[in-house]
Amino acid sequence: MAIRANPKLIEELEPYGAEDVMKCYHCGNCSAVCPFSKDPYVFPRKPMRYLQMGLEEKLEGQLDPWLCYYCGECSDQCPRDAEPGETMMSLRRWLTSRYDWTGISRLFYRSWRWELGAILLVALITAIAFTLFGASQGSLNDYDGANAFLPSSAIHIFDWALALVLLAFLLSNAARMWYFTMRRDSTLPVSVGSYVASLWMLPAHFLTQIRYSQCERKGPWLTHLSLMLSYCVMLVLIMFFLAEMASGPSVDWRVHALGYLATVGLVVSTILFLRNRLKKSAAQYRHSHESDWIFLALILAVALTGILQHILHRADLDVAANVTYIVHLALVVPMLALEVPFSKWSHLAYRPLAIYLAQVRATALARSHRGEEPAHRGAEPAAPLRTV
Amino acid sequence: MKLRVVWDATAPPAADATEGAMRIGVYICTANPGNGGGPNLESVALYAANLPQVETVRSLGVLPKLDPEALADDIADNDLDRIVIAGDSPGFFKPAFTRAMSLAGREPEEVRLASFREHGTGGERATERAKAIAACAVYGVPFTLAARPSDTKWTSAALVIGGGIAGIQAALEIADGGKKVYLVERTGTIGGHMAMFDKTFPTLDCAACILTPKMVAVGQHEMIDLLSYSEVESISGLPGSYRVTVLRHARRVDEDACVACSICSDVCPVRVPSEFDAGIAERKAIYIPFPQAVPNAYLVDEASCTWVQTNGQKCGVCAKKCPKECIDLDARGDVLQLEVGSVIVATGYETLDASRLDRYGYGVHPNVLTALEFERLTNASGPTGGKIVTKTLKHNKRKKVDEWVFDPEGESPRSVAIIHCVGSRDTNYNAYCSRVCCMYSLKFAHLVKEKLPDAACYEFYIDMRAFGKGYEAFFERIQDEGTFIIRGRSATVTAHDEQMFIKGEDILSDSVVEFPVDMVLLAVGLVPAERSDELARMLGIPRDDYGWFTEADYNGDPTGTERGGVFVAGVCQGPKDIPDTVAQASAVAARALEGAMTGRGLQSLASLSLTDIEARARSLVPASQEAE
Repeated sequence: MAIRANPKLIEELEPYGAEDVMKCYHCGNCSAVCPFSKDPYVFPRKPMRYLQMGLEEKLEGQLDPWLCYYCGECSDQCPRDAEPGETMMSLRRWLTSRYDWTGISRLFYRSWRWELGAILLVALITAIAFTLFGASQGSLNDYDGANAFLPSSAIHIFDWALALVLLAFLLSNAARMWYFTMRRDSTLPVSVGSYVASLWMLPAHFLTQIRYSQCERKGPWLTHLSLMLSYCVMLVLIMFFLAEMASGPSVDWRVHALGYLATVGLVVSTILFLRNRLKKSAAQYRHSHESDWIFLALILAVALTGILQHILHRADLDVAANVTYIVHLALVVPMLALEVPFSKWSHLAYRPLAIYLAQVRATALARSHRGEEPAHRGAEPAAPLRTV
Repeated sequence: MKLRVVWDATAPPAADATEGAMRIGVYICTANPGNGGGPNLESVALYAANLPQVETVRSLGVLPKLDPEALADDIADNDLDRIVIAGDSPGFFKPAFTRAMSLAGREPEEVRLASFREHGTGGERATERAKAIAACAVYGVPFTLAARPSDTKWTSAALVIGGGIAGIQAALEIADGGKKVYLVERTGTIGGHMAMFDKTFPTLDCAACILTPKMVAVGQHEMIDLLSYSEVESISGLPGSYRVTVLRHARRVDEDACVACSICSDVCPVRVPSEFDAGIAERKAIYIPFPQAVPNAYLVDEASCTWVQTNGQKCGVCAKKCPKECIDLDARGDVLQLEVGSVIVATGYETLDASRLDRYGYGVHPNVLTALEFERLTNASGPTGGKIVTKTLKHNKRKKVDEWVFDPEGESPRSVAIIHCVGSRDTNYNAYCSRVCCMYSLKFAHLVKEKLPDAACYEFYIDMRAFGKGYEAFFERIQDEGTFIIRGRSATVTAHDEQMFIKGEDILSDSVVEFPVDMVLLAVGLVPAERSDELARMLGIPRDDYGWFTEADYNGDPTGTERGGVFVAGVCQGPKDIPDTVAQASAVAARALEGAMTGRGLQSLASLSLTDIEARARSLVPASQEAE
């Protein structure tokens, strides 16, 4: 198959954050220091090469960027300041925009004005819609009860409708990811059995992010995990126990405890991330894309308005609570509707999927290579690597 | 071909013009496209237009395609007697102009070159220098002659700072030319790094076999004053007459009386790491760096000598035992005043401190060695007699600790990995290529394969720089010998249960490789010698971003410096191998001899103004034309 090169690819990647790729002279230091770089997924040098060569389709078919957690070891040791870690991060942004068939993601990553504008627009529409809806349903003076301004039953239906739409976007994008990486250019025979056999990895990696813990520094993994778990707990509570949460003082203590825990997790981890990015405390925080700031700021704002709404409700300040509720919804909806399928949040689906697909592909590769020489590693003594 | 007229004489030649007055045309063109920072050619052109007898100034641009017939027409139209081609490498265009002159029926000899870059127009005052060069060409006077003040007295003696191969070569050539040389060396012997080497690449000659005769010649030469264990303390004066203060450290052994019998060293109780053996063996406090040292005399290291450290309270046994009674442990240093015409800087280099790169575990894993350590290990005069062995854990009774040391009875390594570019081509350490490491690493692979044919040898490289004569063939030879050559810089050296593992990416097979090795050699890069900054300040010569001394002009004057009469040779100007170092040292000797022979030297750019040079060129005109 002929390989098509796009000489402009490197320029196209610049708005996504990859600025120093051309400095790379391929010493391979990065691939060797990376704790995740193992056959058959050797990175970040190889994707950097593809990028320098403009091999667009080959890059689209790469799972490697999703196997990187940006611990920054490669960038720290890079002899050319080519920032391999940041390149992998940029590739993840670029891949997100490639998986997304609507083109919205591309727009957001290339221009923060578009992203921010879209968020504000959705926020405005949400606020107006819910205000009108609330006014038609009940009174601003009532937070709960029969005459509630925003009754939880209605919100519940809205939540589910939104979730289904988002799921449709996310799943269609994920399907494209699968097509790019496993089907389009691949002649590798992959059995259905291997898809099934590794299926456990999807939930396991989603919930534990255990691979991240293999990085030398454990701090980022814990912060990341706490943010993700808090978010998921909150999501489950909202999707299934919204009525309980919104009801008066008689909340089930388990919902209560989990809710508080998740709130603390969200606030603490977003603040930690923001602090790290502000202080540029490590390689992975040195370069922040606008989408990173927007994402963190949005989550923090959602969490804070949620807390405020909760306090006001408990203090029986129903009007203030209702207003805060509107603001909260005006932040939640763009966060979900725009960030989950089109921006940074989407990696919560892509990353576990990539790990899963990588395993499936590695199994298939091993099967097709069976009988050939094993890779030189481990304690194989004096293996001839390249003799001339 | 496009001729752009910059200036033409407006008035036709006066009828009563002096008989035989020359009509000169200046053609400005350059063979050096994209040479930023050079002279302002427009300004040079206008200056040339104002020189006497210049009838026309033409600009031909960069790298013009010259048509001799069109040029001949132009020459005939303007009735020119002499052509001056001005620019970078104007000799490139000389054939076309010579042909044009003959076509126009003029004297083809009258094509003069104003070579900007070749005469050093790289510095700050590039335009002024270029004007001076152009003026000399217009007057028909060699620039080198005009740029040399006639009234400067040039002391014929030269000072060479640094006694490595560069200093030795320069000193010998000047001395062989019959002029006095003072060779100042900081350590107790000359020889420098080359004396430590086992073999040279690519010829695999024994380094000592080349160096030792030269060292002996330096020691015996009647025109060379060897000032070992000495340092230059200050330099003042002008080109041609520098006054130098040399601090002679107290050797505490009479250099002339000592017969190097080794009795003093045998009785000395102090043991410290030997500098000559790169720290892998020990020496005494009174020692001779190596048996072939020049001067062949012992010296006392005051930092470790018990007598010196206790102010004569303890020890002193060497002085008592010396059969020649030539040890004076209380001797004091001396200060020497010298008068020299030129100063040759040949201070060489140091190797990068490998422990700065903690990922290679130097200083942690005993069998990770630097290049110099391996040179000493594999050298027949080294601590193992040239046997390549891994370190052995031995109990040091004196210090009461277990130490990893080289023992001739030690085990041979089964596999050796050599890592290129350690601290070179790396923005975190040295951004530059150290130029010698690729080749010496290949040489190491050869030495390993030669002495241990069964050992596996691996080279981790980024790019193989085999640029010199015979180097590519040497590279092929090493490949044929069965060394595994892996493209990719090794990333880490780790150890599990005393077995070292090396890890890196094999780029050509897109895979990360990790395998056990018994010995790792680090091809450490070169850095400027310690206290180069002090010397640069003392001499008033600049250094580049990395600390190497800056030459006057990279292409045109790679041995000179901004200061007249001060020259650079060898690695102190920038990393280079032995052949290049020796060549540069010989070139520098010629420069010093030039001053010494004529009694005059080319002044530095900074000290001569355009007016000076122009006036001098004008004064030389009749003489030079008579000579023709």
